[in-house]
Amino acid sequence: MKIYETSVRKPITTALIFVAVVVLGLFSLNKLPVDLLPDVETNVIMVMTTYQGASAADVETNVSRPLENVLNTVTYLKNIWSSSRENRSIIFLEFEYGMDIDELTNDVRSKLDLVKSFLPDGTQDPVIFKFSTDMIPVMMISATADQSLPALYKILEENVANPLARIPGVGSVSIAGAPQREIQVFVDPSKLEAYNLTIEGIAQKIRMENINTPAGIMDIGNESYALRVQGEFISPVEMNNLVVGSMANRNIYLSDVAIVKDTLEERAQEVYTNSVQGATIVVQKQSGSNTVKIADAVHKMLPDLQKNLPSDIHLETIGDTSDNIKNTISGLVETVMYAFVFVTLVVLFFLGRWRATLIIIVTIPISLVAAFIYLGFTDSSLNIISLSSLSVAIGMVVDDAIVVLENITTHIERGSRPKSAAIYGTSEVSVSVIASTLTLIAVFFPLTMVKGMTGVMFEQLGWMVTIIMTVSMAASLTLTPMMSSLMLRPDRKRNKFSKWLFRPIEKFLDWLDNVYAATINWTVRHRTITTVSLFIFFILTLVPVFMPESPIGTEFMPAQDNSRISATVELPIGTRVEITRATAEDLYALWREKYPEMAMINFSLGQASSKNVFGSMQNNGPHIISFNIRLSDLKERERSLFEISDLMRKDLENIPTIRKSSVVVGGGHMMGGQSTIDLEIYGYDFFETDKIAKTMSEKMAEIPGLVDIKISREDYQPEFRVQFDREKLAINGLDIATASNFLRNRVNGLVASLFREDGEEYDIRVAYAPEFRQSIEAIENILIYNNQGQSVRIKDVGKVVEEFSPPTIERRNRQRLITVSSTISGTTMDKAVAAINKSVDELNLPSNIYTQIGGSYLDQQESFADLTTLLLLILLLVFIVMASQFESLTYPFIIMFSVPFAVSGVIIALLITNTNFNMMSFIGVIMLAGIVVKNGIVLVDYINLNRGRGMGIIQAVINGGKSRLRPVLMTTITTILGMTPLAISTSEGSEMWKPMAVTVIGGLTISTIFTLVIVPTVYASFAKNGVKRQRRKLRKQLTTKNDKLEQRTKTKE
Amino acid sequence: MKSIFIAFDQAYYDQVMGILRSHNIRGFTGWDRVQGRGSNTGIPHLGTHAWPSLNSAIITIVEKAKVKPILKDLKALDETSKLMGLRAFVWDIEEMI
Repeated sequence: MKIYETSVRKPITTALIFVAVVVLGLFSLNKLPVDLLPDVETNVIMVMTTYQGASAADVETNVSRPLENVLNTVTYLKNIWSSSRENRSIIFLEFEYGMDIDELTNDVRSKLDLVKSFLPDGTQDPVIFKFSTDMIPVMMISATADQSLPALYKILEENVANPLARIPGVGSVSIAGAPQREIQVFVDPSKLEAYNLTIEGIAQKIRMENINTPAGIMDIGNESYALRVQGEFISPVEMNNLVVGSMANRNIYLSDVAIVKDTLEERAQEVYTNSVQGATIVVQKQSGSNTVKIADAVHKMLPDLQKNLPSDIHLETIGDTSDNIKNTISGLVETVMYAFVFVTLVVLFFLGRWRATLIIIVTIPISLVAAFIYLGFTDSSLNIISLSSLSVAIGMVVDDAIVVLENITTHIERGSRPKSAAIYGTSEVSVSVIASTLTLIAVFFPLTMVKGMTGVMFEQLGWMVTIIMTVSMAASLTLTPMMSSLMLRPDRKRNKFSKWLFRPIEKFLDWLDNVYAATINWTVRHRTITTVSLFIFFILTLVPVFMPESPIGTEFMPAQDNSRISATVELPIGTRVEITRATAEDLYALWREKYPEMAMINFSLGQASSKNVFGSMQNNGPHIISFNIRLSDLKERERSLFEISDLMRKDLENIPTIRKSSVVVGGGHMMGGQSTIDLEIYGYDFFETDKIAKTMSEKMAEIPGLVDIKISREDYQPEFRVQFDREKLAINGLDIATASNFLRNRVNGLVASLFREDGEEYDIRVAYAPEFRQSIEAIENILIYNNQGQSVRIKDVGKVVEEFSPPTIERRNRQRLITVSSTISGTTMDKAVAAINKSVDELNLPSNIYTQIGGSYLDQQESFADLTTLLLLILLLVFIVMASQFESLTYPFIIMFSVPFAVSGVIIALLITNTNFNMMSFIGVIMLAGIVVKNGIVLVDYINLNRGRGMGIIQAVINGGKSRLRPVLMTTITTILGMTPLAISTSEGSEMWKPMAVTVIGGLTISTIFTLVIVPTVYASFAKNGVKRQRRKLRKQLTTKNDKLEQRTKTKE
Repeated sequence: MKSIFIAFDQAYYDQVMGILRSHNIRGFTGWDRVQGRGSNTGIPHLGTHAWPSLNSAIITIVEKAKVKPILKDLKALDETSKLMGLRAFVWDIEEMI
């Protein structure tokens, strides 16, 4: 027994199997987490090494280079980036996609162990971060305070950060903008000199005094007692009474030579939210945990935390990535619902019967819900990709059921009983149903095998649609016949209402059938004119693409309006923090007034401490202001994110004190921001590369549509260099290492020990008091001691000179580079790149310097190349599926004539909607390859059938076309209307999938209209030629036979 | 005894068996899927792409008296849908074992 026969004969089993699928699906759906994107396996590892007090150049030579040389040998490495800046070397290792990142991290760790001992003293152990989307903060909470400001860090750490960190899934909670407590010991160098003391000596003394020692176990009588020395300071004041040396038999106390201060760090980042100073608490998630869950838990906890805080501290959420996720997902759920309604209406319109419509519509929820089982099994989430796959599939899942139902109805109309009609009707079309599903699977399944960034995005789309289509095919072969056998009635009696409703529709459809029949009747009799004019149409639509000033631009990813803007403003290097603060406040006042859309403005300025991981990864310094702006909801404002950010850029340009600034739309998300183009200039010589970067940035500024042009290398920082004379050092028994260490301990300070209180540890830092390290003379007078205890001043062994050094040295693949980066706003990627390349050519670069284009352009190029290969592969697969179905090479070739018109349709749709061609549109084109041929298959299949039934070619074509018009229109319109909600949705995140929907709708509409004309026409031509060829062959055979016969008779004679 | 050979669209199978049952006929020999085409009217039943439907055939040996009523019922069944097709032919049975 065939599967459809079994299902008709066992309706209860069939129904319950699908009930089980739905229950399992709903169960999985219930457990599915909500996220923005599928889990992106990270492919970047960051290695951060601090070398306090070293300049960028020192960090480059002593830290970055040795590390790069060793790390370069790690397998699967794609790119290695390093940025060496003051105090810090950051190395990014970019690996091939799809590798086990944990294994790679272990490799990196063991390589680092190898090189660790070669790093200079004073560098801290390199720290490894797995860099991924998880690093984007889940939430940012601002804490504003008034009187409690000095103790803010501790209060927040104990009452907010620690409880938040206990939420399952929270990775780290860091506090920025609240200075930490520090015990400072500021010494007076002249007194040190007088008493013959050194900073190192004092630090050593502090270390020795601030110690608890277990002395052992002591037995007294029957008992054992522990013996301990409790030497740690209980209060910082105790330190004043430390004896640090002696002079003329008198004790010298620490208070004699230094001031002990229990205070805050000297340099710290300041954070303001809506112009009130406070701190920002940044919540980051653990890799793989769910953003929305964490955000919900944090929101739930915040009111309780607020209760325990002093009354002047206010917590406010300033950034919550889960908002965006929730809005995007609910927008998508809405589009799926609309698509469902549209598809139902289309089916009802064409069939005109409630029961039939119900039978078909039932397959939609079943197939879609089945896909949730897959998501549940793979621990995936409800995200943009999985939900838009539902939207994509919703119009296609009914196709199979429609074909089956249509044939069953034909049987019933012929007089068959519903049960037998269901079995034999399904049996007749099962092969073509399977074939047309296979063409779609041929399109979507290869998507699961793409590698790289594109693969990450579309693997899920491929799986989802493949699974949905397979389930819908199974349902159409079992559930649809089963339901038809039970629900369809042989006599179609209609009540008055449905007569009134459906009679006009039927009349219209009949009229349409006749018009179409008349049209192909004309075209098959005027084949040359038809084919040539359609070919001309196709060529004409290609013109816009090949025009020199193409109106259709390309980009990588559509930019998204997620109501977030981040801006970085840099004042000239060396600007005092007070001036920076004033500028920030001015900007705040200006923007507040100009843009009422801004719901929240948060800015931070100043140097982040090395302990603040999140803060130190961002660009920071006393002259840098980072803005973090949240706009009101999309529906409540008229101006878009992009308009506002363009206006902000203009504002920033008009302030002369600002040296450079950038406005990043989307708050620096990995995807969905505006596209960037980077010009990378490689070369060792700073001077030369700087010069080129400067000219290029000027030239790029002239290119219309490029904004935010920035040179990655910051301005040269004025610095004082101490140049030691090696000979003089040697005479005094010193070397550069010792001498520079002395210098460092005096200026930067030496962390002598840790002060412990209430379970917390605070640094005790010994350094020269600030007033003794603010002039060149003070530096020159620093005393350096050799091993014999003899002292010499710095000015006697070297000199202090003023020089400039680049603050950040960037390298890529072990070569120095400087990047001129730009953001695209108002032009397209291909045009901008062409313009940049032209100006680079005009420069005549020296041979040791070369350039390369990077940024999202590179991603676009890679993805487009991948997708083009994929498109060709898919076309081939689709051809194979069709050829095996028809067992012919001619018919698939005829059907392939639909594909060029899909291209025309895409171009027309992009032109009309003024949309750029990006990765999402490319996916749309790939999908089209499978969707458009389906119409051709249906047409050719039926024309073949007619010919098999003995009709002549032209009659077979006209009759076939006429009888297949409705199924073709129906399946096409369900697909188009299924996508329409995606195309017209304005909800948050809709920019992402809009291009794909527009592409599919345009391509499918135009291609269907032309397929209906070109396929019958071309079919007629090919069939005519085929018949002629056969006749010729026959005639030849006959004539040769006749000739032979004649010859034979002649020879007989 | 007479034999009745019935060739019909396979969708009729249940109904034809029902008619035989209603006349208390137990014995029959049947072919589930056979090809066939009517001499004058009806669509061919060939199981091909062009003519996908197929026939079934049943031969049953009944008493002479039963032939007329059976043929009447079969005729009535055929009348319900001319397009599907049902034909019956009767022979004499000369010997049996």
